[in-house]
Amino acid sequence: MEIVFFGVRGSIPAPGPETNRYGGNTSCVAVEAKGGLVILDAGTGLVNLGKTLMAGEFGRGGGTAAILITHAHWDHIQGFPFFPPIFVPGNRFTIYGPGRSATMLEGILEGQMNPHFSPLYTMRNLGAEIELAAINLDEDEEFIESGLIVRSHQNPHGSTTALAYRLEEDVGAGTRVLVYASDAGYPEGGPSEKALRLYHGADVLIHDATYTPEDRASRMSRGSSSIADAAACAVRAEVKHLVLTHFDQDYSDDVVDALAERCRRLLDEQGGSHIQLTAAREGLRLAL
Amino acid sequence: MKVRFWGVRGSYPVPGIGTNRYGGNTSCVAVRADGGPLIVIDAGTGIRKLGKEMMSGEFGEGRGVAHLLVSHTHWDHIQGLPFFAPMYQKGNRFHVYARQRDDTHLRAVFASQTDSPYFPVPFDKVQADVGFRELVEGARFEIGPVKVSCTRLNHPWIAMAYRLEHEGATLAYVTDTAPFRDILIEQEYIRQPPRPGDPLKPEDAAKLQEMRDGVVRLCEGADLVIYDTQFTPAEYASKPHWGHSCPEDAIEIAEAAGAKSVALFHHAPERTDDELDKILDECAGKTRLSLVAAAESLEVELPSLRATRVG
Repeated sequence: MEIVFFGVRGSIPAPGPETNRYGGNTSCVAVEAKGGLVILDAGTGLVNLGKTLMAGEFGRGGGTAAILITHAHWDHIQGFPFFPPIFVPGNRFTIYGPGRSATMLEGILEGQMNPHFSPLYTMRNLGAEIELAAINLDEDEEFIESGLIVRSHQNPHGSTTALAYRLEEDVGAGTRVLVYASDAGYPEGGPSEKALRLYHGADVLIHDATYTPEDRASRMSRGSSSIADAAACAVRAEVKHLVLTHFDQDYSDDVVDALAERCRRLLDEQGGSHIQLTAAREGLRLAL
Repeated sequence: MKVRFWGVRGSYPVPGIGTNRYGGNTSCVAVRADGGPLIVIDAGTGIRKLGKEMMSGEFGEGRGVAHLLVSHTHWDHIQGLPFFAPMYQKGNRFHVYARQRDDTHLRAVFASQTDSPYFPVPFDKVQADVGFRELVEGARFEIGPVKVSCTRLNHPWIAMAYRLEHEGATLAYVTDTAPFRDILIEQEYIRQPPRPGDPLKPEDAAKLQEMRDGVVRLCEGADLVIYDTQFTPAEYASKPHWGHSCPEDAIEIAEAAGAKSVALFHHAPERTDDELDKILDECAGKTRLSLVAAAESLEVELPSLRATRVG
């Protein structure tokens, strides 16, 4: 499986020269598996992903993809109404997200398309076929999507929760594991045992690293991680490669550079010197 | 009167090297008139940085008063509001104006933007005092020494244009709107657009004529007309029902109104800086009006039209 980052910013898109290197678009990661395309989150990065997809079968109405939504805060869904492939009849999307039922999930997505806010009025005006699948928050689920075994776990995220996803691909000689844990606001003491089990042994752990430890301390109620939280998770869950994402909208590229350097030191201090570290940026492609 | 652009983009914010010069933030314009309170027009993502600047002054101390005129509540015109720092400072006062809706109070429309599960901070947690004023077309009112009037536009769910007058300086803000000739856009979703040039129903034609007259009156003698020019003519031809205009339409209206200058505004998200330069160059040859393409950090003084880059 290969992954490509299209949006690495938290909260709100942050245009400007100061974000040119890492990018200012909100959360979106494309996962190209042998069995198909899986998209993690639908922030504004999704628009650029959509433009690249239009050059292929999605432009001809023959595309199929799954979109896994971690939670419905704007920065994780706001790209969806501008995702070009949803306007092409014949394309098919399955959207997974938190909710007790598909109807609830549909209501949430409809909320951003209602005519007060969007000229689309309703999802029923999109050309593509869209199926919704709620991930029941009461239990950790497992399902197969695009040939991947998908598991999820809800992390605390301020006043709400966000799903973390584990994607496993069988490559014959073993499995490749990607974990996506954005918007994780762990309580004192860090992540739950269940969360650590979900992250355990990942080839790549994409983890929320919104803040410096100092900014995290002054914004605990926001429910997002610092680089220290990300580093601690990577060490405790024994992952091979930690990828930082969801940077605060006010952090310039230079600040993100410094975040990554500091996270490297934290990993080294905690016995994680063997863990590879990358700060996600738009256009970054990683093969697992 | 000083007019400063904080967000000039339509549809959605577009970070990236292709938008560094004109800017990738969605619609937001700040207007300062001597002796009057700050007036902000639209609250796209550009309002976030405006808010940061405001926090260094009286808004940071909870003593600020500002008026927010909203053209309409599509995301690209309100999505920055939850990130507008002065709203979270107790003591500040905001007056929000937008068009009255048949089915929902304005406060509820704005509050639902930050409802669970979409945003972590509900509107009830906003610390500043925020009042809403629901406008009907043609309303005239005063914000301190500034005279304000409004008229409706040709856009899905209907948008409002505003005219601001102060001591011989006049600004018109006209976005979002389609031209007033091919299709009438109101509350209904339009699945299949007519082809531009197709005959109109007489009642639609009459309504569009009335709308155009209203916009021309609104722009009459304006020093600066900020106008929705999201489309090229080819784009408009395939999407007349999206509710956006071309630079040619802006020029036509501004000339009819005897305005002095036009700012191309609400740039298409896919338009690069270089493409905008080219569009501006081409349009400059088509009119004797003074033309500018709106850019973040551009400030224009009215009536002198002296333009400077700030920050």
